Amino acid sequence: MRDITLSQAVNEAIAEEMRRDPTVFILGEDVAEAGTPFKVLSGLVEEFGPDRVLDTPISEPGFMGIAVGAAMTGARPIVDLMFGDFIFLIMDQLCNQAAKTHYMSGGKLNVPLVLRTNLGATRRSAAQHSQSLQALVAHIPGLKVAMPSSAYEAKGLMKTAIRDNNPVVIFEDKLMYQDKAPVPEEEYLIPFGQANIKREGRDITLIATSSMVQVAEKAADILASEGIEAEVVDPRTIVPLDEDTLIKSVKKTSRAIVIDEGHQSYGVTSEIASRLNEKAFYYLDAPVTRMGAMDVPVPFSPALEDLTVPTPQSVADTARKLCAGELVHAA
Amino acid sequence: MPHDVTMPQLGMAQDAGKIVSWFKAPGDAVAKGDALFEVETDKATMEVEAQADGFLSRVTAAEGDDVPVGVVIACISETAGEDAATTDTAPAEDAKTRPVQDGMSLPEGDTVTMPQLGMAQDTGLLVTWLKTPGDKVAADDVLFEVETDKSTMEVEAGRDGWLAATLAEPGEEVPVGDPVAIISDAKPDAPVARSVKNGAKAEAPAKAEAPAEVEAAKPAAAKAPAPKPPVPVTTGGHILASPKARRLALEQGLDLGRLVEAGHPQPFHVSDLEVLRRMPERSTSAAPAMAAVSRRLTAKAGEDGVAGFAAWAADAQGLTGDTILAGLAGASIGSAVTVCVAVERFGDLAVFAVPPGPALSRVAPSEEAPDLLVRDLRGTHLASVEMGAEDVPVLTVTEAGGGLQITLECAANSMDGAAAIRLLSDFAGRMEQPLRHLL
Repeated sequence: MRDITLSQAVNEAIAEEMRRDPTVFILGEDVAEAGTPFKVLSGLVEEFGPDRVLDTPISEPGFMGIAVGAAMTGARPIVDLMFGDFIFLIMDQLCNQAAKTHYMSGGKLNVPLVLRTNLGATRRSAAQHSQSLQALVAHIPGLKVAMPSSAYEAKGLMKTAIRDNNPVVIFEDKLMYQDKAPVPEEEYLIPFGQANIKREGRDITLIATSSMVQVAEKAADILASEGIEAEVVDPRTIVPLDEDTLIKSVKKTSRAIVIDEGHQSYGVTSEIASRLNEKAFYYLDAPVTRMGAMDVPVPFSPALEDLTVPTPQSVADTARKLCAGELVHAA
Repeated sequence: MPHDVTMPQLGMAQDAGKIVSWFKAPGDAVAKGDALFEVETDKATMEVEAQADGFLSRVTAAEGDDVPVGVVIACISETAGEDAATTDTAPAEDAKTRPVQDGMSLPEGDTVTMPQLGMAQDTGLLVTWLKTPGDKVAADDVLFEVETDKSTMEVEAGRDGWLAATLAEPGEEVPVGDPVAIISDAKPDAPVARSVKNGAKAEAPAKAEAPAEVEAAKPAAAKAPAPKPPVPVTTGGHILASPKARRLALEQGLDLGRLVEAGHPQPFHVSDLEVLRRMPERSTSAAPAMAAVSRRLTAKAGEDGVAGFAAWAADAQGLTGDTILAGLAGASIGSAVTVCVAVERFGDLAVFAVPPGPALSRVAPSEEAPDLLVRDLRGTHLASVEMGAEDVPVLTVTEAGGGLQITLECAANSMDGAAAIRLLSDFAGRMEQPLRHLL
C-alpha cells in the first residue's frame, strides 16, 4: 500500500466524489487558484473548473448561507472553512439552519452539506487561529462530527461525509496535513460511529481524538517500556459516538483517560468520561480522567503554547498514577 | 512508651523501601499524623505519618537508604532529647546481676522485629531459634523461623554482631513489628532469653504494682496491634474504594472493612482484594489463631513390617498392597461400622470399604467418599511432609532410616486430640507389626 499525506488523502476523497457525483461542489476562501493555505485542494479547479470549485469573498456567513441553500435544493456542497476558529462566524447558518432544517420541514428538506475545517494548537498561530472547537458543534443535535486521526481516516471519513444526507462537520488537524500514512489505492469508506482500536492493551484505555491519537500512541510506547499496557482507541466520529467499543474496552482495562485537544471544561473529554461513568461505573478501578487543552486562550509564545496541550509525557504520567492506584483527585 | 517507626509495606511485592527524604530531624517534636518521611517503592512515592506523639529520635536510616520492610528506622520517644533506648539502657552491671528472667534490663543493641510476611498478617508464630543468646551472628545468618497462616519462613539477623537477647520463645505469637531479638555490637556479658509472656509480666509491675496476672497481661494486649502501614488520606469513616473493587467485594462476599482494620492503605482497588481474600476467616471465638489450627502428629515405626507381610498376603491371599494399607488404616479408626479409606500412591487413588474386624479379605473396592486418606510415599525421597489439613484426615507414610515415619494431619475440628493420637499410634503399630492387626 502506498503512503500519502493527509492533504493528498483529502484531495483524493473530494476529487473521487466530485467525479462520481456531479452535484458535489466545493466553495470557500482561496479554494480554487490558491488551493487553500494548506494546499489541500491543489489541482481540483483544473479538473472540475471554477463552477464546481468556487472562490468566495471573505464572508463566512455569506458562503455558508449559500451552501445551506444549495444543499436544501439538491446540491451537495463542501464548505471549506479556512480555520476552525471561524466557526463562530457561521453559527447561525450551521446550527440554526443546517442542523434543524430536516426536522423543521417535517423531513421534506435535507441538508447534505460537508463543512471541512481544522483544529489544533502548537502551530504558533495565536489565540484566534489555534482553537479546537469540535465540542461547540458536537453539542448541537442534527450535526455529525468526524475527527480523522490520519490520512487513512481523512479519506474514508470524507467520502462517507459527502455521501451523507445530513450536515457533517469534519475537523482536520492542521499540523497533520503533511503526515503520511498507508492509504489503499482502491476505494473505501469508513462508516460513522465505528471506533478504531489502534493498539490493544490490558491496563488502561486511552481514548483519543484526531491530533491526540498520536499523542496517546506515543504515551502507550512510554508506558509499554514500564510494563503498563495501554489500549488506544480512536472514536473517529464523536457524533455519532461508538459507545459500545469504548465501554467494552474500559470494562476490560478498568481505567480510562479521555484525550482531546479542545478545552477541557465542558468539552468532548467530559462527555465521553460521563458516558463511561454512567455505563461502565461498576467496572472502573480508577476515576475516568479527562485530558484536554488548558482552559486559557492559546498563547502565541511557543514556550507557553506547548504547555497548554496534552503531551505523550503528561498522558503517561497520568496513566501511571491511575494504574498505581494513587488517589488522583483527592476527595 | 517509645514508639518504633518501621519501614511500612506499601505494596504486595515490596520487600524494601527507599527513604526519599525526612520531613523531621532527630529531636523534632512530632504529632500523630505528621508526615515523618517520604518513601519510594517501585510503584509509588508515599508520605509516611507518625503513629504517635512525641519526639523523633534514634534515626538509623538516612535519605537515599534502601530499608527492608518492617525494619525499625527511628523511634518516637516521650521526652525531648532522650535517646529512645530508654527502656533498654540499663547499665551493664545491672544486666550481670539481675536474673535473666527479669526482663527489666535488656542488653543494648539493635532490635530485630517480627517481620510482616503478608499484608494481612498481624502476628507471627515463632517456631524455633536457630541461634542461642550469646552466639556471634552474621547479617545473613538465619536467626529464627517464623510461621504465619501462609508459610514458614526463615528470618535473617540483618546485621553482624552478637545475639544479646531473645525476647520470645518458640511457640509464642509475636505481633508484627514487635521486637524479637536484640543484636549487640559487643559480645554480651549476660545474654538474655525471655518469653513474650515474661517480658510483659516484667514490664507490668514496673508501671503499677499489678499483682494479678490478668491485669499484668493488659499492657501486652494494648501493645499487641502491629504498627499500621500509613493511611495516606483521611477517610472520615468512609471507605475509599473503586467502584469495581466494591462490586467484586460484594459479589464475592468480601468485607472491605477488614482491610481498613488491617491498616491497608486506601483507596482500595481490585488488586487489594487479593490481600483481603488471603486473610484468614474471621472467627467469633476468643482465640482465632487456635480455631484455624490443624493437627499434625508424627509417629515412627522401627521397621516396615508391612512390606514383607504384603508379599506373603499377595501370594497366599491375592491381596494387593493398597487393600492391606486400607485395611490396616480402617481398622485403626476403631469404628463399629464400615469405614471408607482411600489409598493414594503417586496420584493414583483407590477407595476401599473396610468393615469392622481384622479380616483383610473383606476389604473391598468402594465408590463412597472416603473417611480417611492414606498417602503412601514409601519409595520416594520424601522424608517428612507438612501439607496442612485436607478435607479428610490424612495418614502419610514415608521411609525414615530403616523404618517408617507416619504423619497424621487433620483439621482440628474434624478429629479430637485423643482420637488422633489413638488412630496414629494404632496405625503405626500395625505398620510395624502387621500381626498385631490379626490379634
